[in-house]
Amino acid sequence: MKIFSIIDKVIMKLEEFILSFAVIVISVMTVSNVIAREVFNSSFFSFNLEVSKFAIVIATFMGIGYAARKGRHISMSAFYDFASFKVRKIMMICINLITAIILLVLAYFSLDYVISEYQTGAVTPSLQIPQYLMVIFIPIGFLMGGIQFLRNMWINIRDKDNVYIGIDAVDYNDKKNEEIAQQDLNNV
Amino acid sequence: GEEEGTTWKFITEEVDGQVQYEYAEEFANRISDKTDGEVTVEPYEYGGLGSEVDQVQSLQDGAVELAVMSPGFTGNMVKEGQIFALHFLFPDSVETTQEILNTSEALNTDLRERYEEHDITPLSFWTEGAMQWTSNAGIQEPADFEGLKMRVQESPLMMASYEAYGAAPQALSWSELYTGLDRGTVEGQENPIFFIYDAAFHEVQDTMTISNHNNYVAMTTVNTEWYNDLSDEYKEIVDETVAEMQDWVFEEQNTQNEDFLTQMQEDTEHPTEIIELTEEQRAAFREAALPVRDFYVNEVSEVDGAIYNKLLEEIQAATE
Amino acid sequence: MLFTLMAIMVVLLLLNFPMMIPLIAAPVIILLIFFPSLGPDILMDQLLTGIESPVLLCVPMFIFAADIMTSGRTSNRLLDFIGAFVGHIRGGYAVTTAAACTLFGAISGSTQATVVAIGRPMRERLLKVGYKDSSAIALIINSSDVALLVPPSIGMIIYALAAGSGVSVGDLFIAGIIPGLIVFLSFAIYSYIYARVKNIPLADRVNWGDRVRFLGKAILPLGFPVLIIGGIYTGAFTPVEAAGISVLYAFILEFVIYRSIHIKQLPKIALSTGLVTSAVFVLVAGGQAFTWVLGYARIPQQITEAVLGNDPSATYVLIMVSIFFFVGCMFVDPIVVILILTPIFAPAAANAGVDLIHLGIIVTFQAALGSATPPFGVDIFTASAVFNKSYLDVIRGTPPFIIMLLIIGALLIAFPSLSLMLL
Ligand code: NA
Ligand code: NA
Repeated sequence: MKIFSIIDKVIMKLEEFILSFAVIVISVMTVSNVIAREVFNSSFFSFNLEVSKFAIVIATFMGIGYAARKGRHISMSAFYDFASFKVRKIMMICINLITAIILLVLAYFSLDYVISEYQTGAVTPSLQIPQYLMVIFIPIGFLMGGIQFLRNMWINIRDKDNVYIGIDAVDYNDKKNEEIAQQDLNNV
Repeated sequence: GEEEGTTWKFITEEVDGQVQYEYAEEFANRISDKTDGEVTVEPYEYGGLGSEVDQVQSLQDGAVELAVMSPGFTGNMVKEGQIFALHFLFPDSVETTQEILNTSEALNTDLRERYEEHDITPLSFWTEGAMQWTSNAGIQEPADFEGLKMRVQESPLMMASYEAYGAAPQALSWSELYTGLDRGTVEGQENPIFFIYDAAFHEVQDTMTISNHNNYVAMTTVNTEWYNDLSDEYKEIVDETVAEMQDWVFEEQNTQNEDFLTQMQEDTEHPTEIIELTEEQRAAFREAALPVRDFYVNEVSEVDGAIYNKLLEEIQAATE
Repeated sequence: MLFTLMAIMVVLLLLNFPMMIPLIAAPVIILLIFFPSLGPDILMDQLLTGIESPVLLCVPMFIFAADIMTSGRTSNRLLDFIGAFVGHIRGGYAVTTAAACTLFGAISGSTQATVVAIGRPMRERLLKVGYKDSSAIALIINSSDVALLVPPSIGMIIYALAAGSGVSVGDLFIAGIIPGLIVFLSFAIYSYIYARVKNIPLADRVNWGDRVRFLGKAILPLGFPVLIIGGIYTGAFTPVEAAGISVLYAFILEFVIYRSIHIKQLPKIALSTGLVTSAVFVLVAGGQAFTWVLGYARIPQQITEAVLGNDPSATYVLIMVSIFFFVGCMFVDPIVVILILTPIFAPAAANAGVDLIHLGIIVTFQAALGSATPPFGVDIFTASAVFNKSYLDVIRGTPPFIIMLLIIGALLIAFPSLSLMLL
């Protein structure tokens, strides 16, 4: 099991690096373009838009798994919030499983898309980078997301006392978490 | 639409009222007449199926059968198609330009083959009107471009074209363009008159230079596989209609561009000075633009400018 | 088919699935069932299109700037400064929030960026002085969305293009002023009444000496709005670039001048930005796939054409316009809705004698209203992600705002002069 935990850590660190790096890259690109134009009246950074697009695509899809790990995906918990512990537990396991399956199917479909992009040989306008290098992050993102939801499901099966949504997300419906919930609210 | 005869989807890059969409509607009517209603052509306006580049993908995937497409949006795939972005390549007369588009072997055979490698068959090339420059500076000679922040699409060739005049080209999406011109983030842009008027760019620009520096060329395209699998009867009807439409669309764009030019001239609320170029002024631009052709041949073309050379000969023949 | 689509989405949604699942899976399932000859490639392509829009780029950067500023000192100094002037006024903070969101939304052109950049710091302050969270969030979302009415409104620019020639963007901008003011006034009055009824405690009036002291502390942070608004209005940069500049400015303030944050913390702040960006953008991506399927099946056209009939009256057309844009924008990005539905309604409206500028105001207004309304609204998602609040908590406080806006919408239809009198 230790090996799994190490792999898990490495993946998490990698996801964290990609997400924060992407945000910094977008900012740097945009700022340099303004400076190039307004200060030097040059269009040297004409590729900035493209690099930013790359970064945003990578961040979006590589973030699927990380947001799942953190329990930060947006959902509509209206009915769930009213359910009993047992129902919530079962619901969460099913949601994790079905979400994982759907994401894995999407990974498969999007891999197909990557292959067809690879075959057309399309390149990006400014940097002339093959388009498939960008779209490959779609299946990778879906795959990582799928795996992460399977992991969440596994934790939910193992941990009998809590409903696990993610690292950051406490299920405020759990009795013993109500206090924490109240504290959280007071702290904002 | 479920099974009531055959339906062909025809996607355009413009909305109802603009040249491409009007083309698709007219095309639909003619096909319906010729097939006694057996075939319904459904025109799609811009917006519902994503960006222009997505629309290209829709045609390639066979999600739609027909499309009006600007070569600019396929420039990364079929590099030769960027040829229409060159300035002062085609003659000043839009009419002569259209004749060349109709008959050119370089385009209708050689360039078509390049597209067919990507499942796109261009059946015809036509102009939506000559491109004009708008600015507050009032562009009359290349020096007026010096340091001007000219808005272009994201394309190295277009960038090079304006750098050749000394401008500082900026890539900006058109949805940001009105505000960008208003604020001076960019100081000039190019488009056919009908689009300038429709998008109201004249409201935030003092002058429009009738530069005719190139044409906004559109292609009537079909999915290659679909087209090749058509029955002989249908294929003939499609070919015939596409051919007939050339004169029709020339008239349509001509009417629209002339009408909107008049309206722009008569708009007292947002006055726009219309600048006509003299022959010498035009020649100065043409000369400044010539080196960009080397850039096209060396950096863009994948066939060492073979299509360009052939087209150039055809243009020379047509203008002699 | 529309029924199948809606059924899949609503069921998955209500069962507490991550919202990206109904948004992405439903269109894929529809495609596989109803258009089996098409591969899912086309939808994968749309996922990219959804997030590639250059205007969207300002969202992560404004989040980033706001993250830096709230981690450091900038944000609090700005808020203390504002508080020194409005803290003792009933509803003062709420009115300030509404004004700041509307203005920033108009200038940045991005309602999501507004929810983040203005909404995040203002919400914390609103909670601190005693506002209920759901009300604070609802105020932020709705004031950000009505920014679509204030020039330079991207919605109006798109409308002008789609409505055809003769519709002036400049006229639309002017026509939006009075409706925009009415909305702002009603939000202000609501905030005042709310503060009164809920008995939100007032701070003591701050004397001018202290106000100057707060101003002194806030002088560098105040450079932030000056730089952003000034930079955009003078054309020095586009709204997207302004977002980048605000990151730079926040960075200089917090890391260089105040030294309130260590450079080692930067990746961590960027990570929290990246996480929120991803959670929102994956929904934007899914929304685009959903939109594509609707567009491909020509569902909007079919419904609208059936509803309009022959020779509808002006009022009937405007009511239909309101319903369609309102409902459409509940599900789909407002820009796309405007592009698709405007060409259908504009000719019918013109025939019925509706002024196309008036129509434009109704369209923009309903688009703003619809995008602040559940179930699908990108600002709802953004608020949920940024504030780390459940979806339900985010929408709980919206009904009063929706009711106010619906009434204003009816007034705009009944009295065209509200839109047209400044022209
Ligand atoms: Na003008
Ligand atoms: Na217009």
